[in-house]
Amino acid sequence: MLPTFTYVKPTTLEHAVRELATPGARACSGGTDLLGCLRDRVLKADKLVSLNGLAELRGISELPNGGLRIGALSTLSEIASHTLITTRYHALSAAAGAAASPQLRNQGTIGGNLCQRPRCWYYRGDFPCARKGGDTCFAKEGENQLHAIFGGDVCVMVHPSDTAPALTALDASVRLVGPRGSRTVALDAFFVLPSKDYTRETVVEPDELVADIVLPPPPAAALSTYRKLRSRGAWDFALTGAAVALGMHGKKVERARIVLSGVAPVPWRVELAERELVGHELSEALIERVAQRASEHASPLSANAYKVALVRGAVAEALSELRAKG
Amino acid sequence: MREPNIYGSDTLDAELAPQFAPATSDLPPWGKTTVVGAAVPRIDGHDRVGGTAIYTRDIALPGMLHCAIVHSPHAHAMVKRIDTTAAKAMPGVHAIITCDSPEAKIPWILTNQGAFSQLLDPHCRYEGEEVAAIAAETPLQAADAARMIVVEYDVLPMVVNYEVATKPDAPKLHAVGNQPSPARTSQRGDVEAAFAKADAVVERTFHTSCEMHVPLEVHGSVAQWDSGKLEVWDSTQGVYAVRDSLALALKLPLSSVRVSSHFMGGGFGGKLELGKYTVFAAVLARMTGRAVKCVLTREDTLRSVGNRPANTISIKAAARKDGTLLALDATLLGASGAYPTGATSSYMLLDLYTCANVRAVESSVLINAGQARAFRAPGYPQAAWALEQVMDELAGKLGMDPVEFRLKNIPVVSQLRSGQPYTSTGLADCLRDGAEKFGWAAARKRPANKGHVKRGIGIAAGMWGSPGGPTATVILKLYADGSANVNSGAADIGTGTKTIFAQVVAEELGVPVERVSVENADTGTTQYAPSSGGSQTVLVTTPAVRSAAADVKTPLLALAAEELKIDVDKLTIRDGNIEIAGDTKKVPFSALRSLAQRQQLVGVGRRAPHPVGKVGLPFAAHFAEVEVNTRTGEVRVVRYVAAQDSGRVMNALTFENQVLGGVTMGIGFGLTEQRVLDRQTGKLASGSWHDYKIPTAMDFPVDFQCVPIDLQDKECNSVGAKGLGEPATIPAAAAIANAVCNAIGARIYDAPITPASIVNALASKGGK
Amino acid sequence: MSDRGNKGPCGPQKHVNRRGFLTTISTSAAAAVVVGAATPVAAEAAPRDATEPTPIVLYVNGRKYRLAVEPRETLISVLRERLGLTGSKPGCERGECGACTVLLDGSTRYSCMTLAVEAQDHIITTIEGLANGEELSDVQQAFIHEDGYQCGFCTPGQVMAAEGLLRKNPKPSIDEVRLGMSGNLCRCGAYGHIFKAVQQAASTRQSGGAK
Repeated sequence: MLPTFTYVKPTTLEHAVRELATPGARACSGGTDLLGCLRDRVLKADKLVSLNGLAELRGISELPNGGLRIGALSTLSEIASHTLITTRYHALSAAAGAAASPQLRNQGTIGGNLCQRPRCWYYRGDFPCARKGGDTCFAKEGENQLHAIFGGDVCVMVHPSDTAPALTALDASVRLVGPRGSRTVALDAFFVLPSKDYTRETVVEPDELVADIVLPPPPAAALSTYRKLRSRGAWDFALTGAAVALGMHGKKVERARIVLSGVAPVPWRVELAERELVGHELSEALIERVAQRASEHASPLSANAYKVALVRGAVAEALSELRAKG
Repeated sequence: MREPNIYGSDTLDAELAPQFAPATSDLPPWGKTTVVGAAVPRIDGHDRVGGTAIYTRDIALPGMLHCAIVHSPHAHAMVKRIDTTAAKAMPGVHAIITCDSPEAKIPWILTNQGAFSQLLDPHCRYEGEEVAAIAAETPLQAADAARMIVVEYDVLPMVVNYEVATKPDAPKLHAVGNQPSPARTSQRGDVEAAFAKADAVVERTFHTSCEMHVPLEVHGSVAQWDSGKLEVWDSTQGVYAVRDSLALALKLPLSSVRVSSHFMGGGFGGKLELGKYTVFAAVLARMTGRAVKCVLTREDTLRSVGNRPANTISIKAAARKDGTLLALDATLLGASGAYPTGATSSYMLLDLYTCANVRAVESSVLINAGQARAFRAPGYPQAAWALEQVMDELAGKLGMDPVEFRLKNIPVVSQLRSGQPYTSTGLADCLRDGAEKFGWAAARKRPANKGHVKRGIGIAAGMWGSPGGPTATVILKLYADGSANVNSGAADIGTGTKTIFAQVVAEELGVPVERVSVENADTGTTQYAPSSGGSQTVLVTTPAVRSAAADVKTPLLALAAEELKIDVDKLTIRDGNIEIAGDTKKVPFSALRSLAQRQQLVGVGRRAPHPVGKVGLPFAAHFAEVEVNTRTGEVRVVRYVAAQDSGRVMNALTFENQVLGGVTMGIGFGLTEQRVLDRQTGKLASGSWHDYKIPTAMDFPVDFQCVPIDLQDKECNSVGAKGLGEPATIPAAAAIANAVCNAIGARIYDAPITPASIVNALASKGGK
Repeated sequence: MSDRGNKGPCGPQKHVNRRGFLTTISTSAAAAVVVGAATPVAAEAAPRDATEPTPIVLYVNGRKYRLAVEPRETLISVLRERLGLTGSKPGCERGECGACTVLLDGSTRYSCMTLAVEAQDHIITTIEGLANGEELSDVQQAFIHEDGYQCGFCTPGQVMAAEGLLRKNPKPSIDEVRLGMSGNLCRCGAYGHIFKAVQQAASTRQSGGAK
């Protein structure tokens, strides 16, 4: 059962921002993550500010520079099937289509997907963990098979989003709107590592909301994909995933982004592996080398060393798919 | 100590207990049937697809209150103090019971060593154990008020690792210790001597994870009192079992308790017992004079209403060069949870194959977690996981085809039942027909594929050791217009029981299926039937339906003979008509004036006892093909053939459905499902369907074939059907495990097989 | 039509649910008033205050209902407990099973993860809205014919998911059927028959059959 809260559904961005500034207010769009957190008493809300009346947060449109603007209220279903995205930013449509279930994709928004809270079972369960204000991360000495092998610190949760690594690989940025106006944050700088602040996952302030996501024009001969590994065939968070975006020049890789999901508290970019790719032809041997490089420097916990192999596997699978396409 | 759960290790004892013999002798076996066996859609399909079927969850009575339950958040704790002051002051609250209330003292977990707990026990032995219950006007008010109950606990040391729980210094759950029952040994022959003569020996240890039932409808009840009588709607597999326990708990005569469960949303063994929620509803209804509904939350069902217990099974097995299985020596340890229950079953280890020398030592141990319950073939999938992998390894050592090796050791008698012959045994047919349909021989010869995605095939066999029982009573009414009504207390838990009853009546009397109505699962209005569990409903209750139909035939023919003035010996019943020997004239039942005058004929049917000196049990052999991605650890089941000997196929549609459902459950057991308890606190980590992963539509193979063996068993009972629900799931996970081993060349001993176990197995294989 | 041979002597049956009396809506909750057939109007922007019940308008199965709900009440609880529409099933109440699936403007949606206040201004279709009186829809009939269920508790959600899938994709391949149905758990594991039912419904619809 949900706890009590009040509800408001503004129709202007200005009004929404004002409502969000009131104490205990939380933004709600699809609600697929927030309502679960409220039900489990992971989060508190005195007031839900529905964003669903904000027409300006909707729509997917091409920008004059050839890039793309995705309104924060665009659903994962819309993103997974939008022609401009499936053709130019395949990693994003693949990631959106691999998230959750058909119903949740119809309901969940891209803004919400980026701002979702951790899926760590200690965080969601009745455990006073550090991220909820407690003094320990239960996963470190506990059941950590699903947890981070990179970037863990006070907290070893993994970021649950599939679209976030894809957007990061595609060099997307996010426009935030708040009482102080709007600001644009690169996806690379959007997520917060526990070593910096373990009580938050993103730079979004409580009185800010995600307005839209901007994708730069894809590089010439762009190739991208997202490969997700999970425990069951559908409706599951990533054990490990790899979003890969390449810019090709002839047969050679000119630009490369590899961003992992399911292995770190933030979408985890593996720049060493990216560098290994640039200037070379995508050969099987190179793919093996890059996959190996992507998995280096991991710090596995007691039960998740297998994820090191999964990183190699996900990266190799993604690159092999792009090699076959390119 | 005799443990309370008859479905665990005690299956054999329970069914060997004396059964009362019915008055009538049994009917001759059917020959070819026309309605029975056909693909008849369910008679209640309209309600199921229309949203009009009323499940317990859907019941709303006038003035009904709603119950919310307060649970211990600790795995092991003693309640120090409960303060309900704030809760009582909440809007809509009518009544609260706590560990301090007189009602709390109702004995719970009854064994022959006495009660191990009480309705609301201040000594909480697992996270989720109930400490208070509250009734309020609306579900929201009840939940809000429950959160205002303040409970102070003394937290006690806990143990959730069952292997640790057996150690002398482990925290104790009960004064008698963590193993209230001594280990139980079953044996025949001389195991040690046999090992000395063996050509091949394999010795392995397996672990299976704890699996949760999680039927889609959560457990729940609605209770109301009327003139001292208690009426209960319960989502249960056995209305009579619940009535009996409820009457005992509330000290009421059986005649004062009515329990019904017309539509119920799945059980799998988890709804065979009286639940505390039912007693809360009854007690709170009595206190308030209102109807009370108490339904659990999904989270509750992952903690407190049963599971398939985790097992550790070690097997040492031996065979001769010619493929003769010489010896099986097994030790089994199962985790009962917080209260005693048999948590292992050695039945299949000891009886699936002919083996002269066997020994099984079984023990169960208590841990600070929800109690295990019967779960679709209790103990068998765990045993199959171990036995069928060992059989594969033995076949490999002998250089034999695993199917051939199994065929070498087919039993014709039950060794566990002092050599009683089977009324029929289709194990060899399952192996042969299944292998043929699967293309086993050709698939074995296929060269290994080169890429990183490996294909593999596997086989596993299984059996279910219970022929069901005791008997059931059925009343059949034939009405003046020739339509009929079947009355039986059996629950239709989704297997299609009601439809099969109607088919049996249609077969016997020729009344069309759509003219047969079925009343069921109501102790107030329907006749005794055993609970729908243990694959026994069809084989125990449909013979009684057939017997009731026969019981209608005799007076019907007598009426017809008198009315038509023809010798009764010349009359037969066929397709809803009276037919006269040597005459083409047919008289429909509805044309009989004497029937119209009586309005109805009533037949009473009972099932005859099991055949003396013989036993009828079902068998299965499953064939799986998997794809294993060696880079990513992903396993996909891509092709599956399930061959089932369950005697007569009663309904081709529901038969196939049971089989593919059983296989789906096996895919979960083998690949995705795993209860995870936090080792630091004993609390459940996998507390939702995101973290406890049951198979989705994407996990079921489209290329699936059910191969019914459809043996004519003329002796097991008068309809010739054996059980199906359990044997359909028993070998599935093991077949997949064998296929995975075939694919990657490394064996995985622990269930479930996850991407982690694949990459770990490949790493250790590479390291060797 | 089905490729299965003998369907036996019995087709889908029609009958009024005989235990309907068990779902009396209690007087205290009977706040719903039906005010006729419906088209949504534009949303009001006024802030809704408080834990006090908020007046809302829901358009369900072609009828318009005015009622007052707490903001925290989910669509599933309002459908079932206020409107007496118990066909949609709560299997988890946390968006993890799909038994509560309804259509919102024709798209599948978990009603347990949808606040009733947020369901305003949308066209809601529940399982009760699929049949035309006693005449079942093509999807419903296909589920009966192919035995696309066992216990039946997830079935209303499966049927709604299939309906939503076929509206988006009238000719789904088998892999699209599996993916389209992957947001609805069936613990009985009847997936194999569910796939056949969806395919049969698709072919019925293609050949101009019912609805």
